[in-house]
Amino acid sequence: MIELVRLTDVVKVYQGGITGALNGVSLSIAQGEFTAVMGPSGSGKSTLLNLIAGLDRPTSGRVVVGGTELGELGEAGLARFRRDHVGFVFQFFHLLPNLTALENVLIPAQLKGRENADARGRDLLERLGIGEVANRYPAKLSGGQQQRVAIARALINKPTLLLADEPTGALDTNSGDQVMDLLAQLHRDGQTILLVTHDAKLATRHSARVISVTDGKIVDDARLETTDRPAADVVRLRSEETSR
Amino acid sequence: MSLKYGVLGLLAQEPLHGYEVKNRFESMLGGTWEVNVGQIYTTLQRLERDGLVRPVGARGDRGKLLYELSQAGRKALVEWLAQADSGPQQLHEDIYVKLLLATRVANGGLPALLGRQKRAYLQRLRDLNQLEERARRDGRIDLARLVRGALLHTEADLKWVDELMADLHGGKTE
Repeated sequence: MIELVRLTDVVKVYQGGITGALNGVSLSIAQGEFTAVMGPSGSGKSTLLNLIAGLDRPTSGRVVVGGTELGELGEAGLARFRRDHVGFVFQFFHLLPNLTALENVLIPAQLKGRENADARGRDLLERLGIGEVANRYPAKLSGGQQQRVAIARALINKPTLLLADEPTGALDTNSGDQVMDLLAQLHRDGQTILLVTHDAKLATRHSARVISVTDGKIVDDARLETTDRPAADVVRLRSEETSR
Repeated sequence: MSLKYGVLGLLAQEPLHGYEVKNRFESMLGGTWEVNVGQIYTTLQRLERDGLVRPVGARGDRGKLLYELSQAGRKALVEWLAQADSGPQQLHEDIYVKLLLATRVANGGLPALLGRQKRAYLQRLRDLNQLEERARRDGRIDLARLVRGALLHTEADLKWVDELMADLHGGKTE
């Protein structure tokens, strides 16, 4: 097991008592894991994600990702870390409206100084099943297509860690299912994924590890069996027969 | 209850003999309800006694007897299908009784009990998710819908346990 993320006694306090604070969280995530972090809104689950992403700094405690101690990085260092190691997928896609789908996908590559990532960008859109929308603008795309563009953008720099915060929250059931299936496929291909959701059905769909966060604390860290079980072992209709 | 109507429903499509009824019933339910062939024969005999099914012709090879639906059987089936399920909610699982007893017997065993139950529900959600996916892959949309119902029930069970855990937690800090 190669450890990719380690949090030690992480505390995050917000001025003015805004919800989402963390009260001492320790956690280790291995490379290749598909972990779900589950909790109600305001529980601190998104804060946890933002700290791992280097989008925010803890009030105290340590965050180490891929051997890098994030607390030792300055603002520029953190930005570099995010660009090189982290891919983000949010609930509301955050695509730039005046750029085409492909141009949106290429932004992180350009920030990294890779000017010829075109082929990889097109390849990613192809792999995500939306090769035909490469030259369209976000406004012309469905929610599901926009989210897939956002996933391609998250993957363009081959991130060590893919973070998804309620990635299906703004999608209809069908598009949501497709996005979840895509994440599962990426995981099978070796991608480490951290999924944040309030929805237990989503958390357990593909993740073998489900962490529950309540009031800024990890209250449960469950590793689930992933072998297929026969239907009768999973659900049973009532079978008592009343004779008459 | 519904084994009787399950048999009537299958016979409404075409006449079948007992063993075919068993096989079709089990495959319709996708393995979520196993019946032994004896139960099927008993049910068929009762339905015949009540005039809801009748044998077609004589006993064939190896003693197989085909049954078909009677007029009265069809009427009974249609009426049953039109009825909403009402009556009291059935809670089958031991957790409900354990919950009541934990505060009386096990002195403080409640948090651990709820913690274990939460794990069990998470695992069940995971298993149901996989079962639903399998049903869809097999083109069994009807079965996937049934599993979806079970999935949502389990989600509610999980919320219930979370709520009880939060109650306990809140009680401690007061």
